[in-house]
Amino acid sequence: MNTPFRLDEHKRRPQPLAPPPADYFERLPRQLMARVQPAAGRSEAAFGWLAALSMPLRTALASVVVLGGFATSFLLSQSAVTSVTPAATVASLEAVPRTEMMQYLLASDSRVTLTDLAELSTADHSLTDSFLQASPDELQDALDAQPTDDTYL
Amino acid sequence: MEDQEILAKFADPAARNVAFNQLVRKYQSKIYWHVRKMVIDHNDADDLTQDTFVKVWNHLENFRRDASLYTWIYRIATNECLNFLSSKRRKFFMPLHDVGTELLQKVEADPGLAGDEIELRLQKAILRLPDKQRLVFNMKYYDDITYEQMAEITGTSVGALKASYHHAVKKIEQYVNEESHLN
Repeated sequence: MNTPFRLDEHKRRPQPLAPPPADYFERLPRQLMARVQPAAGRSEAAFGWLAALSMPLRTALASVVVLGGFATSFLLSQSAVTSVTPAATVASLEAVPRTEMMQYLLASDSRVTLTDLAELSTADHSLTDSFLQASPDELQDALDAQPTDDTYL
Repeated sequence: MEDQEILAKFADPAARNVAFNQLVRKYQSKIYWHVRKMVIDHNDADDLTQDTFVKVWNHLENFRRDASLYTWIYRIATNECLNFLSSKRRKFFMPLHDVGTELLQKVEADPGLAGDEIELRLQKAILRLPDKQRLVFNMKYYDDITYEQMAEITGTSVGALKASYHHAVKKIEQYVNEESHLN
């Protein structure tokens, strides 16, 4: 009768499988260096100077870059806002003839209506007398013609 | 060369290649055999050993020294093996026993086991263990890794590892005895 197999009585073979090719462990370090070297070369070419810096310096440099980015974007947005001043807006509007402006405003109901002009002229005639040539009766007729539902009576 | 010395050299960009070369020469044999016993085939073991060391190169700079370098590299190699075996099963939609059959065929064809019937039965018995239990068995039986180091490598408790090894030995002995009975 066979003796039962017991692992602790079995002579252990540290490497039971067939060994790798004879020069395998000589070639492996070279193959590995070839695999990691191209990546290392590329990164060193682009960021070699950065890698040479110490960690605190790299952190400081990154902070400066981020803060610089914020400052630049802030300055650019400020100059865009300040480039159009209220005085410049008034000057450019004054250059437009008033009759042309009135035609533009009346071209669409969403901007201004004849009723708006009539109300404005009735309230203060001096505001409209330079561009609105209408008699008080004509203005009153325009106001009377206003639809009832628009007056909220 | 001590691990601390290798790590210090690796931190210096001018000495990095030399340090890595020394690290590979120090650990290549242990890692290769650890992987080889899991995947059996030399070419697969070669690929996985290389992938392990490439990962070591990529992450060594961030290596936290709360673990030893040895167990850290072992852990990477172990994960490579487990991922390789599970991806192989997923890739080919193979049920568990088919990958096992493939490994058994490779063991039977291995020239290192030719003529040693008991050793061949032992290797076939080891292959019948689940992957993680096989890892535990190999690390304890062949590599003499302590349970504490194994716990670092696998992220499993020492108690669970001891139980796993004990069960693995029982299963192996039972299988070898059954096979001997049949032949």
